[in-house]
Amino acid sequence: MSDLRELQQCFMGYLLDDSSSMIDEVESTPMLSAKGRLDIYASAYVLRLKEAMTTDYDKLALYLGDERFDKLMERYIDKFPSHTTNLRYFSVNLPELIRDEPDYAHIAELYELACIERAFADSFDAKDLQVATIDTLAALPEVAWENLTFDFQKSVQIVWLEHNSFPIWKALADDETPPKAEKLYPMAWILWRRSDLVTHYKMLATEEVAVLSLALQGKNFAVMCEKLLDFYSEEETPMKAIGFLQSWIAEEMLAGFKF
Amino acid sequence: MARPFLGFGLGLRTDHYQYVIDNKPEVDWFEIISENYMVDGGKPLAHLDKIRQDYPMVMHGVSMSIGSTDPLNTDYLGKLKTLIDRVEPQWISDHLCWTAVEHINSHDLLPLPYNESTIEHIVSRIQTVQDTLGRQMLIENLSSYVTYNHSEMPEWEFVNEIAKRADCYILLDINNIFVSANNHHFEPKDYVNGIDSDRVMQFHLAGHSYNGQMIIDTHDHDVCDPVWALYEYALGHFGAVSTMIERDDNIPPFIELRQELAIAEEIAANVLTPQQLQIRSKLDLQGVA
Ligand SMILES: [Fe+2]
Repeated sequence: MSDLRELQQCFMGYLLDDSSSMIDEVESTPMLSAKGRLDIYASAYVLRLKEAMTTDYDKLALYLGDERFDKLMERYIDKFPSHTTNLRYFSVNLPELIRDEPDYAHIAELYELACIERAFADSFDAKDLQVATIDTLAALPEVAWENLTFDFQKSVQIVWLEHNSFPIWKALADDETPPKAEKLYPMAWILWRRSDLVTHYKMLATEEVAVLSLALQGKNFAVMCEKLLDFYSEEETPMKAIGFLQSWIAEEMLAGFKF
Repeated sequence: MARPFLGFGLGLRTDHYQYVIDNKPEVDWFEIISENYMVDGGKPLAHLDKIRQDYPMVMHGVSMSIGSTDPLNTDYLGKLKTLIDRVEPQWISDHLCWTAVEHINSHDLLPLPYNESTIEHIVSRIQTVQDTLGRQMLIENLSSYVTYNHSEMPEWEFVNEIAKRADCYILLDINNIFVSANNHHFEPKDYVNGIDSDRVMQFHLAGHSYNGQMIIDTHDHDVCDPVWALYEYALGHFGAVSTMIERDDNIPPFIELRQELAIAEEIAANVLTPQQLQIRSKLDLQGVA
């Protein structure tokens, strides 16, 4: 075939499922056949994608063991060919594949582990923003509080879990034997990157995640206070709300204020 | 006009960030993989900015897919431009290959058939890229494992012709010449002799591995003796060319790579005069032509 586009489609077909007629386009030599030559590319293709996935989900890989993780990667490579110019983003749909495939869906902590690892990756290289300070908060004019909203660091990720997946992740990260998976209750974990460029994480209390979710959606301070009335008395609420704000600032989750 | 000469550089790798920041080792320049920094923020960009303060840099990309028949990826070029503005590199390069078709990316450097219609296709795309980025680029020769039935000329003729017509420069990978010469049965020196010296702006050196049948461009070993010999020959042929060692796997401590780079310096000192080896940096390649 003399058409470059057809040649490229044919080559890509060979990489994806080695069923194309690409062998007819390539010279065989005594040293190595056309198929042997093309297979160098075909195996490099799979190897490179697997390498990227193993880097992105190294705890999941440990948890599943080599053989099962390899099978999972092959399934993913088949189902989600790369549409990105950056290998860093190739594996972003792995949690969803785990959630949707019957082979993996029944092991509930797998999806959660994958979500945790993806959240770390997304937090790691999220956009850098200013860090809001207590002084800026203190200096806000009275009128600001009427419609005060909050900009969070782009690295803030909330992950909802129902299992002890974070302790499992932590054990794997520390090279320890992970605890047995167990179903608990819905918990929100937050991951965010501080100015030292290290990603921190913690579990959020029910009240905090309730207001934090609203704040992240861009709801204003008044709406957040209203929500807190589900948990606290009218007298307690303003102090509690300010308390959360102060801790978000101290922990460098906030980037700024809008009013 | 004389070509710029940056001296002897290394590829900047994650494993070495801290060492480089703490020790400011004596290296003339660093080459970065552009895509590693085409992210929004965090550690990669923070380290890059810090190291850039102390070293000249060039940017080396792997995903431009200049030889693809898909439309040029404008989103990619936009991000590349943003990174160029941040790094202010001496120059940028990518490979004379295709990586994606129908928007599926192989993340590999796939070879092209060496014929007139491919040349025309690529020349116009390089011109578009150079217009978009407002600067000339370098194209690099690959290691390859297949020869297409529709190739009609030796690879060096193909490379030369594209560089001439697109008015771009050549990043000559000495190891890739050696690898492809072995895999496709040609004389590596014929390749060097066939390349237009005026277009050569940079050399790559790297290690490879042998899989029992073919040499594979793995960048996971030291540079081997025949490649050093070919490097020596190329220096004699082209004169001083900015040289760096690529190492992407099985990465040794920085200090060992620096020692390996000293071999390149030593060879160059034997072949060339101190005058030829004086560093002549150009901020903008445009000013060279
Ligand atoms: Fe190279």
